[in-house]
Amino acid sequence: MDNTNIIITNIFKPFQDHINAEQDIREEIRNIIKDIDKPLREIVTQLQVIHHKENSDQINIACLKSRELFEDVRIGFSKLDKIIPDGQYYRYNDHWRFATQRLSFLSALIVFLEKGFLIDKDTAADMIGFNNTLRLHLDIEDYLMGLLNLATELSRLAVNSVTYGNFSRPLEISKFVAELNAGFRLLNLKNDSLRKRFDVLKYDVKKIEEVVYDLSIRGLLPDGNTNAAADNNGET
Amino acid sequence: MSKRGYNKRHGKSKQSNPAVGDRAKEVLSNIDENNEVIKMFLVFSKELDDKHDRYERIVKLSRDITIESKRIIFALHSTSTDMEDKKQSVFEDVHTRLENLMLKNFKQIAIELKGHDPHLYHKAFTSGMQEFIEALAFYQYLKYGEIQAWEKINKNFIYDDENITLFFSHYDFILGIADLTGELMRRCINNLGIGNIEDCFRLCDCVKYINTGFLGTMAPGHKEIGRKVYTLKQSLAKMELVCYNLKIRGSEIPKHMLVAVLETQQEMNNEEDDEGFY
Repeated sequence: MDNTNIIITNIFKPFQDHINAEQDIREEIRNIIKDIDKPLREIVTQLQVIHHKENSDQINIACLKSRELFEDVRIGFSKLDKIIPDGQYYRYNDHWRFATQRLSFLSALIVFLEKGFLIDKDTAADMIGFNNTLRLHLDIEDYLMGLLNLATELSRLAVNSVTYGNFSRPLEISKFVAELNAGFRLLNLKNDSLRKRFDVLKYDVKKIEEVVYDLSIRGLLPDGNTNAAADNNGET
Repeated sequence: MSKRGYNKRHGKSKQSNPAVGDRAKEVLSNIDENNEVIKMFLVFSKELDDKHDRYERIVKLSRDITIESKRIIFALHSTSTDMEDKKQSVFEDVHTRLENLMLKNFKQIAIELKGHDPHLYHKAFTSGMQEFIEALAFYQYLKYGEIQAWEKINKNFIYDDENITLFFSHYDFILGIADLTGELMRRCINNLGIGNIEDCFRLCDCVKYINTGFLGTMAPGHKEIGRKVYTLKQSLAKMELVCYNLKIRGSEIPKHMLVAVLETQQEMNNEEDDEGFY
């Protein structure tokens, strides 16, 4: 063979070796993600209780159970942390991006249910298990994506709260999501997936406001707000 | 629910019509900079802007590299001449220009990436890198008859003075090689025009080996490679046709007419012509 065959040995052989090594790591990552996905789905299921009959005890139990399940998630991510090579988070992050986004959402939902305020990024990272890790961290865009998912979930919760007779929760949600909306408006989003997801936020806001509006014109808002609505009716 | 929230709703009652959207607007106007949520988002905003700005700066740098690389490739095509002097001067010129790209343009990218995960910004400079590899490999092939391995080329991206290394993806390298086949094909046709028949066979051989290499490579989940290999196959088909015609009719028609014959044959599949990148 003449020297052109060098092309194969020189160029393609190392490339294939490189790919093979990469595939091995990806395989390991996929296995770990499977372990993370399981508690993740369980948390999702647990928290669906909020859409059923109003029962604050049950919601508390669901939150507690979810927090326990988050422990499994953290174990998973600490394993993952060990196999990701230094400085290559974004090389492999496609594998766990979706899980991270959902986990950000779930942690935000739990904090909202328990305390009624917006989770900050560090707390979310703590819950998911990113804070004591060396190489992994909570990507800001994943966290923001989680917050947008939260807004959608809350718009559903607003509707269902009314159905089971909790007329004050839609107001809480309305204020919460309006603040979130105000926050997102401060960001200069590129034309990426986060931007597309953000465009949905206004529909969530609208839906929640419609629920509050329906309550207010019927005088169903608790205490102070009932008067406000009554005044409104008188004027128009 | 905070007290402030109630007050807000009270204030609202003074407005005439509680239309949908009003509430959000009102909350917006009532929120000041001391609001916890707003404070948080101001921080996010900075972080995101920083990320986007860096990305854009790298895209710009990469674009310059792409343009210069394309010019280098064009210059290299002019070496298909018999004049040894001219050839060598072009090679020299190209050599310094390639060095320049590595020492200046790519270094700037490396500086931008200092302390950041290069994979996050890889998309911003992958096209510049591929085009550069195409130019570099073309130069190496024409001058030395071989292409350096990834390992060797990678050494050029280590900047000891600044203690930084530019991330040089294996994929960019291999994709650049795939693009190179398009240039080799063009070169082959040009050679035919000036009657440098031996080179035609040599070039065709080289592309055959590259094709073999791709056939033996398995890169799951990489669509770009598939697209480029498709173009590669088209280029290869053209070259093989050239070689076939050279062999079979080489003695029948004068060489400058051979080109015309080939051109008519190729017009048929010219629509889906090469240059799949961009």
